[in-house]
Amino acid sequence: MAANSIFESYLADQGYALFEYLGGGEFRALGSYPDWCKTVWGAENARQKTLRLAELSPFLENFLVDAEGFWNSKRKGAANSPVWIEHDFANHETPLEAWAVRLEGKKILIVRNLSSSYAERQQLFQTARDSLLEHEQLLHEIQKKEILLHCIIHDLSQPLNAMRGCFNLLSMEKLPGGQQRMIETGQRESQRQEQMIRGILEAFSGELAVQQGSAGTAAEAPDLAACAQRVVEQFAPAFVEKGIRLRLDPRLDVARDWKVVGDAPRLERIFGNLLENAMRYTPKGSAVTVGIEDKVHCLLAFVDDEGPGLPKDASSDRLFALFAKGKDRPGKAGLGLYFCKITVERWGGSIGAENRPGGGSHFWFKIPRAMKTTPIRGADKRSAPQKPSPSAAPVAPSVKDQPAPLAPGHLGKAPRRLQILVAEDTDVNRELVTELLQKRGHSVFAVEDGHAAIAALSKKRFDVVLMDEQMPGMDGLEATRNIRRMERASGNHQIIIGVTGNVSEEDEKHRIEAGMDGYVTKPFDMQVLFQIIESHSHGGQQAAPAKADSAVSVAPPVDVAAHLARSTGGNEKLAQSLVKSFLADAPKKISDIRRAVAQKDPAKLATAAHAFKGAAAIFGAPQVVAAARNLEAMGKAGNPDGAEKVFQTLETEFARLKTELLALRRKADAGAAASPRKRKK
Amino acid sequence: MLQKKVCMLGSFSVGKTSLVRRFVESIFSEQYHTTIGVKVDKKVARAEGQDVTLVLWDIHGEDAFQKVQISYLRGMSGYLLVADGTRRQTLEDALALSTRITETMGKIPAVLVLNKCDLTAQWEIEPDREARLAADGWKAFRSSAKTGESVEQVFSQLTLAMLRK
Repeated sequence: MAANSIFESYLADQGYALFEYLGGGEFRALGSYPDWCKTVWGAENARQKTLRLAELSPFLENFLVDAEGFWNSKRKGAANSPVWIEHDFANHETPLEAWAVRLEGKKILIVRNLSSSYAERQQLFQTARDSLLEHEQLLHEIQKKEILLHCIIHDLSQPLNAMRGCFNLLSMEKLPGGQQRMIETGQRESQRQEQMIRGILEAFSGELAVQQGSAGTAAEAPDLAACAQRVVEQFAPAFVEKGIRLRLDPRLDVARDWKVVGDAPRLERIFGNLLENAMRYTPKGSAVTVGIEDKVHCLLAFVDDEGPGLPKDASSDRLFALFAKGKDRPGKAGLGLYFCKITVERWGGSIGAENRPGGGSHFWFKIPRAMKTTPIRGADKRSAPQKPSPSAAPVAPSVKDQPAPLAPGHLGKAPRRLQILVAEDTDVNRELVTELLQKRGHSVFAVEDGHAAIAALSKKRFDVVLMDEQMPGMDGLEATRNIRRMERASGNHQIIIGVTGNVSEEDEKHRIEAGMDGYVTKPFDMQVLFQIIESHSHGGQQAAPAKADSAVSVAPPVDVAAHLARSTGGNEKLAQSLVKSFLADAPKKISDIRRAVAQKDPAKLATAAHAFKGAAAIFGAPQVVAAARNLEAMGKAGNPDGAEKVFQTLETEFARLKTELLALRRKADAGAAASPRKRKK
Repeated sequence: MLQKKVCMLGSFSVGKTSLVRRFVESIFSEQYHTTIGVKVDKKVARAEGQDVTLVLWDIHGEDAFQKVQISYLRGMSGYLLVADGTRRQTLEDALALSTRITETMGKIPAVLVLNKCDLTAQWEIEPDREARLAADGWKAFRSSAKTGESVEQVFSQLTLAMLRK
C-alpha cells in the first residue's frame, strides 16, 4: 500500500474528510470518502466526481463564504469553523468541525467528525453551566430566606409593640404591689423577647439584616465624613492598581460635624459598594470623587465617576433593584446597590443615581442628620421630634436602648382637652391609641377606615385627625385627599396627622401631596404621639395652607417670643419696635383685605394679603401666614370665591396672635419698669 | 420554495433548543443538554398563503465560555431572541445581544420570547418590565417549550414579520 494511501486511510479512520475546492462551488473528495459522510450527506455523493457541499449543508454554505475569503487571501494558517451538528438519515446527531487550508497551492477543506471527543467536551461545558445555574439558584434561595426572615421578624415584632403599649398603660395605674410586679415582669419579658428577635436578626441575616434606623444622639452617631475617609483609604490601593484616581472631594471639611443616623460599619459598606460599582465602570486614567454636602436636615453623600454614565434605560428603581446587574461589566450577585437602597431607606434616607452633565455618573444618598437633643424620656428614640425617623424596621430597640418602664402617672394630662378622630383599621392599635389619648385627657372618637373618618367629620368637629395610612376600603391618603377637596369650598383646614410605617422620601412626598399636616411613625411612642398631636392643636379648623409643601412632619408649638428673638438676633429693642409697628399697622392691612374680599377684587386681595403675610411672618404665626397666603393665592388665581371664610379664619388667628403680642409688650414694659436705673446707665 | 434563515439567540439554558424541538418535532425533554456550536434544523411553515422553509439555526447560548460570532448570522432573515423568564438577567443579556446585532447588521425582524412561563412561581419579569419592552417596540411572548404554550405562535409571528419586511 502506497504511503499516501495509508495516510488517507488513517485520516478517514480518525474521522477526517478532505475535499479539494475546484471553484464554482464544486469540491472533489480526496482519498476515500468516509462512511460518516455517506450517512450524513448520502451514499450517492460518494460516487459523484464532484460535490456541491454548500447544497448539502446549510452550515457549510455559510462557512464556505469565510473559507473562500481565506483561500483568496494571503493569510497563513487556516480558517476554522465552530462546532456544528448535522443530523444523519436516522436523525442521529453528528458533531463536525471544518478548516479551510492551502496545501501545495490547492484549496483544501477538511471536515472532521467529532463524535469520539464531543461527549467529553459537552460534559465539560455542561458541568460548568450547571454549576453557574446552581450558583444563581443558591443566591436566589439565600435572598428569599433573607426576605422571609425579615418578614418573620417584622411579624413577630408587631404584637410586641401593642404589648409594650399595654404594659405601659397598666404601669400607669395604681395597682396593688403584687399586680405591679406582674406588670413589671411582663415589661421585662417583652423587652427580653425583643432582644431575642434582634439576636436572630443579627445572627442569621448577615449583611442584609439592616438594623432599624436608630436615630441615636449626636454623641453616639457615626460621622459620615470619617466613614467616607476610611473607605477611600481602604479602596485606594485597588484603584491605584486599576489606574484610577480615587479622592475625597477637596471641598469637604472633615473637621466639621457630619454626624448622621445609622451605624458606621453599614455606612462604610454603602460607600464601599458605590466605589466598587464606580471602579467597575470607570476607565483607566480617570478619577472617582467621594464627597458630602450639607443639606440642612440631612447630608448628601456622593460618588462621582468619569465612566460612560448610566445606561439609557436605567431608572433608579432598576439600578437599585434586587439582583440587578449591569450589562457590560456586571458585578457579583446584584446585591450591592440593593443593600445600599434598603439600608439608606431604613434610616429614613433616600438613594439615587443620575448622569453628570460633563459625563460620568453621580451616585448619591441622603441620610438624616443625627439629633443634637437628648431624647425624650420614655420616647422611642427613632421617632424623636426633630424628624420622625424610620420605625418600620423589623425589630424594636434592644434592651439597652429601651426606656425605663413608666412610673404611674408619668404622662400627665394634656394642657388642653382635644377632640381627636382616630382612623385605624387594626383593632388592637385602635384600642391602644384610644386608651392612650383618653388617659392623656383627650376626647377620642375612633373609626376603622377612611370612609368612616369622612362620615365622622361631616357630623362633628375635631381638633385633630389621626389617620392610619394603610387601611382597607379607603386608605388614609385617599381619605385625606377627599377631605382636602371638600375643604376647597369651605376654606377650612382640618389638621390631619398620618400614622405610618413608611418613611422613605417618596412616602413623605405622597403624604405631602395628599395634604397631611404631619405624621407619626409606627411603632410610636406615647410622648412623641402626644407632642405631635398637641403641637397641632391650635384649633382643628384652620386656614388652609396654600401649598401642600407647607405640611411638616412634626411642627413644635410656635413660640412667638422665641421666633421673634431669632428673627432679631436677640435684639429686644428691635423686637419691641417690630411688635409695636405691627400692632399699629395690622388693623389697616386687615381692613384692606376685608374691603378687597367684599368687593371681590382679586388684584387688591392678592396685594393686601401679600403685604399682611409678610408682616405676620416675622412672628412665625403659621396659621395667620397660611390664611393670608391662601387669600393671596385666591387673588392671584382671579377667583376670590370662598374668600370670606378664609378671611374669617384670618381674623380669628390674627386675634390670637395679637393677644400674644400684647402680652409680650406688657412683659417688656414690666421689665423696663422694674429696672429703670439699669436702663439709665 | 421560499427559504428563510432563522437564528435562535439568547443566554445558555434559556430553552432555545427545547423551543426548536417542540416546534420541529413536538417533543420536550426535562433533561438539560447544553448546546455546543450550532444545530441546524428545518421546518416548513405557512404564512400569508404560502409555504416557507424555515432553516433554524440553534446557536449555543452566550456565556463566559462561548460568544456568538456574528459570522454565524450571515444571511439571517430573522431571529428569535429567547430569555428565561425565571432568570431576569437573561432578558437583559438578550437585549444587549440584540443591540449588538442591530449595530452590526441593521434592523432585522425579531420576536422576543420569555420562555418557561409554566414556572409561574419563579417568574422574575415584572409586568411593568414587559410593558416597557412593548413600549420599546418589542413583540414579546410568554412561552413554554414544556407545555407548548405560544411556541407555534412565536414562529408564525416571526415568519410573518420576515415576509412583510
